[in-house]
Amino acid sequence: MSSTKAPARKGFNGYAATWRFPIIIWQALFFLGPLIFMVAMSFFLVKNYRMEEAFEFKNWQKMLTRGYFWDSYFLTLALATVSTIVTSVLAFPAAFALAFKVSPTVRRWALFLLIIPFFTSYLVRVFSWYVILAESGVVNALLAHIGLGPYTMLNTKFGTIVGYMTLTLPLVVVLQTFALANIDRNLVQAAHNLGCTPWRAVYRVIMPLAKTGLVVAALFCFILSFGDFVSPYYLGGSKPPTLPILIIDTTKSGQQWPRAAVVAVVMMVTLISIAFAALALAYRKRASR
Amino acid sequence: MSNPLVEFKRVAKRFGDFVAVKSMDLSIDPGEFIAIMGPSGCGKTTTLRMLAGLDKPTEGSIYIDGQLMNDVRPHERDTPLVWQSLALFPFLNVRENVEFGLKMRNQDAAVRREKAMDWLDRLGVAEFAGRNVETLSGGQRQRVALARSLVTEPRLLLLDEPLSALDAHLVIRMQSVLTKLQRELGITFVYVTHSQSEAFAMADRVVIMSDGEVAQTAVPRDIYREPANRFVAEFVGRNNIVSGKVSAIEARRVSVESAMGQFSVIADEGRIPAAGADITFVIAADLVEISRTPGDAENTVACSLISEEFIGSVVTLFLETADGDELKVQLQERELVTLDHTSGGTFFLSWQSASAHMLPQ
Amino acid sequence: MNGGFLLSWALRGYTLLLFVFVFAPILFSVVFSFNSARFPTIPLESFTLHWYQTIWADPDVWTAVRNSVIVSVCTAVIATVLGFCTAYTDYRYNFRFKSAYMALVLLPPTIPLIIMALAMLAWFSKIGASGQLWSVIIAHSVLTAPFAMAIVRLRLNQMDKDLESAAWNLGASEWRAMREVIIPFCKPSIISALFLTAAVSFDEFAIAWFVSGLNKTVPVLILEIVQGNIDPQVNAIGTFVFLVSMTLVIIAQVFFTLRQSKAFS
Repeated sequence: MSSTKAPARKGFNGYAATWRFPIIIWQALFFLGPLIFMVAMSFFLVKNYRMEEAFEFKNWQKMLTRGYFWDSYFLTLALATVSTIVTSVLAFPAAFALAFKVSPTVRRWALFLLIIPFFTSYLVRVFSWYVILAESGVVNALLAHIGLGPYTMLNTKFGTIVGYMTLTLPLVVVLQTFALANIDRNLVQAAHNLGCTPWRAVYRVIMPLAKTGLVVAALFCFILSFGDFVSPYYLGGSKPPTLPILIIDTTKSGQQWPRAAVVAVVMMVTLISIAFAALALAYRKRASR
Repeated sequence: MSNPLVEFKRVAKRFGDFVAVKSMDLSIDPGEFIAIMGPSGCGKTTTLRMLAGLDKPTEGSIYIDGQLMNDVRPHERDTPLVWQSLALFPFLNVRENVEFGLKMRNQDAAVRREKAMDWLDRLGVAEFAGRNVETLSGGQRQRVALARSLVTEPRLLLLDEPLSALDAHLVIRMQSVLTKLQRELGITFVYVTHSQSEAFAMADRVVIMSDGEVAQTAVPRDIYREPANRFVAEFVGRNNIVSGKVSAIEARRVSVESAMGQFSVIADEGRIPAAGADITFVIAADLVEISRTPGDAENTVACSLISEEFIGSVVTLFLETADGDELKVQLQERELVTLDHTSGGTFFLSWQSASAHMLPQ
Repeated sequence: MNGGFLLSWALRGYTLLLFVFVFAPILFSVVFSFNSARFPTIPLESFTLHWYQTIWADPDVWTAVRNSVIVSVCTAVIATVLGFCTAYTDYRYNFRFKSAYMALVLLPPTIPLIIMALAMLAWFSKIGASGQLWSVIIAHSVLTAPFAMAIVRLRLNQMDKDLESAAWNLGASEWRAMREVIIPFCKPSIISALFLTAAVSFDEFAIAWFVSGLNKTVPVLILEIVQGNIDPQVNAIGTFVFLVSMTLVIIAQVFFTLRQSKAFS
């Protein structure tokens, strides 16, 4: 009914513009500008190590017809998918415990602790894993005490996934906990009253109710894994390279920026499709059966 | 007579498709205590916000002191508002809150401080000057909000349901604080409320709004005894509304044939209806007599009791005629004793013809 | 009942394990930074400050720290200003294409850093601004402004919707009300945003690596050391970086949760 808005004045409002336009200009110049330019760059040519502005499909042809590009593509897709599934599954019991089994104070502290790693150096943490997982590292030294190992964990897919999880696990637990904690407890109670066993209640009541949050958490996990180059490089051995490593190699060593742009655009298209699919799934009304 | 301090001329306010105020004419004299009352969504708060310049009229003009105010921005007018939420600044202490208006007028720090302390003192909350506003009780915060609005010595104070968040016993106390303050300062109060008791207890004149329009503007007694239309009659007080047809006219005495029976009403001079016309009249529930015997009063209806409602010493009885029409009687609790109302049976309601008030058709 | 009890404790134990996984690398990094062994493993060798002495004496580290401080501070200021403007616009105004406006502001953190890095590198070379410290600052501001916006916006949500109108009503112009009411009310969140954006900027390496040229920041330096071989120096620098970012994040958190109580002041 009554609004907090000041009376609308016709014409230019300097006050409103002061708050509205800085970010538009900034993002247009330094966010949209770079992204659009990158797309355009994928059609440029490189001659004698110099980039020429053009509109040719050479880079696209070159990249998309190469087997190694598709190897990288499917490897990256597979790694990110596995990471998403493993992380979501491993995070769920913890999120469940934080949402339902601990006091609000404990939950608040746990979430705070989980947010900290998100803002601390991922690079150093991955390097730490490198040391921990090495042939003569901490894990193998511990296993040797009980007569096992040594196991090779570096330069494997396992190493890559551990690295991804360093990045994604805290975030996924936080997002899942929010999703679960927001469920109406009465509905869970009702399910129990109606004779639902705890396991069935989790599967039939809690997961569907928290679906949106769970899917969004998985989506973030996928995006982060898909775009990360540190773990596959240092812990995964980068053979074959994932798409982000391909971008770095093409940019840093070959000066082939347009080809790197092709890889980046393919990544963007893939991520946007997956994001839309995931959000459609997350917000879809449950079909009646 | 002095010129009006505030004038609304055909003011309308729309938010997109939503009409908050349809067409409003109102004039308020200097020193008046005006209450604007109506159900929620009737446009009363929008009216107040337009006075403060927070909403701009879509049509019509608002004058304050003869000056057209439509395009005057909120901070360029001196129309302090006491907010329903109080809207005290949580990051300032009590004294700084009160000083705010003076600070915006770039007054000297020493002067600001002195005036703020004067007002806090006057409202009896000086001892909390250094406290954070959130540590105060509801009533204390109310006083701080008043002090903050009055410190600039405005000629017009706007109040938007300021007492709605207070406990009942504090409301009564604050009502007397407000009326006393208004009389002493001699400034104009425009007080928006949905509470009849607040409006009738304090205001010189009451404006009843309905659906974005003024339904009636009058002194409290007239609103109560002589509602201008069916809406006011239903909204205010406990009124019995009877509709029928004019069957005979004898000077100002009008006989009415209604579903409940034959009644007579005394019409105002110059508003005497034609025979056969439709007519609606109102009898306030407290002007209805109730008895166990028919008696010989001119307007009598036989009823049975449905329910009763106690509010302190006043009781309202809800009764029903044989045809199912509902009637209300309001009386003192001690009068019930002689009535033996719990034993059922028939009751006879009656009223004087002069007590009935005819509504314009 | 008994089964439920066991399950409940199993879940808590599991959660604890998960926390161990999350914090193990941080803990190991700190422990090994004081360990004399060239290759970090257990059992631990003797306590040493050698690695700290090495980095203390390294002029490259000092340059990188200086660069990182400049980048973080400038990024924090720019991102917080931009974030504040956007949060206030979102709070106060409705306009056409507002959802597009919000998307434009909030999207950057969802785009993989490596893609932003390539795009920024190409764009800055195009406009002749690559390899500068302020190219890193600009890129980081784009990346972190949404965090600042979110923090300030949450604070504005807690504000009584009449507070700004009340200031106008008492004679404050829109600008004056901004200065006397909105900014004081948002102050804790502004401080929080400053620290948090500084923390994000201080740790960011992908974009910094691509656009900083020769002006390495600390994470870029770490990246280059790590690329060479295993060098426990990294643990020492890493511990230092953790310390800085944790401090920043904790300060941010404290201000974020701070209820403005000036009681009995």
